[in-house]
Amino acid sequence: MSDDRFEEFLREAAEHYHVPPEIPREDMWIAIAEARRRSVRRTRRPDWRIWGVGIAAALVIGVGIGRISVTSRTATPMAAASAEDDSDIPVAYRVATADHLGRVEVFLAGFQADAREGRHVTDVAPDAHDLLATTRLLIDSPVSDDLVLRDLLEDVELVLTQIAQYAGRPNSSELGLIDQSIDQRSVLFRLHSATDAAPAGMPYQGAL
Amino acid sequence: MDDRSLIAGVQAGDPGAERLLYDRHVDGVYRLAYRMTGDADLAREYTQETFIRAFERIEQFRGEAALGTWIRTIAGTVVLNGLRKVKRFRQREVELDEGVAHAAAPRRAEPDLKERLGQAIEDLPAKYRMVFVMHDVEGYTHEEIGAALGMPAGTSKAQLFRARARLREALSEFAGEWAS
Repeated sequence: MSDDRFEEFLREAAEHYHVPPEIPREDMWIAIAEARRRSVRRTRRPDWRIWGVGIAAALVIGVGIGRISVTSRTATPMAAASAEDDSDIPVAYRVATADHLGRVEVFLAGFQADAREGRHVTDVAPDAHDLLATTRLLIDSPVSDDLVLRDLLEDVELVLTQIAQYAGRPNSSELGLIDQSIDQRSVLFRLHSATDAAPAGMPYQGAL
Repeated sequence: MDDRSLIAGVQAGDPGAERLLYDRHVDGVYRLAYRMTGDADLAREYTQETFIRAFERIEQFRGEAALGTWIRTIAGTVVLNGLRKVKRFRQREVELDEGVAHAAAPRRAEPDLKERLGQAIEDLPAKYRMVFVMHDVEGYTHEEIGAALGMPAGTSKAQLFRARARLREALSEFAGEWAS
């Protein structure tokens, strides 16, 4: 049997692979237009990223002053070492990530507690979508150079995706799966560890 | 309206130009997304994401490639990234359900050629599958595929060769279908 005959057979047979249905052009166009409008509104609104950059700038100045003061007085190796930043992640991203992980921890802890008490948790979609969008931004940022952090963010992304989907079509079995997802990957524990390891004055540095 | 005028219109924020760009390219993007996912919701999501990104980045488009190629590049990235996430998501669902699934696994009839081919294509690595779908199903040339996926045309050819070899192996018990 020749390659040509196989290729011909394959091309004919593969035409039936995932044959696209009628294309929902108008529905998609409306969704695209809405997403772009939301994006424009978001960029016009001051958000946590701007605060993060401000905090980062303040931290950089603070660390700079600290270094000058330490050098002029004792300049011990320990003091110099503590002022060093051994992470490759820019400080603005670390601050933004720390802030975000703290928010996610609060959100997931509240969601899980409500779910376990059998309360209706259908009004969480906006928060879940907002946190999901920020999580994805961070996954696509230099923060992902830290493999541990990327792994945590990807698990957070999956759980938030489940919650966002659940909020659109609530059912109790899905709620159970979300609860299991949070527990199975120790998401809350890892979030707590990441945010709890922060020394005073540099929120969450070391964990990040 | 030619591509250059169309791009200028979109860059200037002309809604008519935006819609025209969408109309010209939406079918190709959706078809590729659907062929790759087999899921109408995912195909829709990836198509929307492709155009949202295209409109966001149109200012950066300098015309080094054709507009269609540029949009297919975005679509390829969106679809491959999306499939990676879906794969991880489904793996997690399998992990959660594995006890139930093992207990309740039904006996299946022997799959026919169409079903086996579909499964064999699904089992290809995502990049091979993308090249196979683009070339053998959607009819793109290796030059177009290479430009869209950011690789030389020769690499596209090599990946298609490997994809076909894997499919041939997976379908070996049906060899009579193409030998006759």
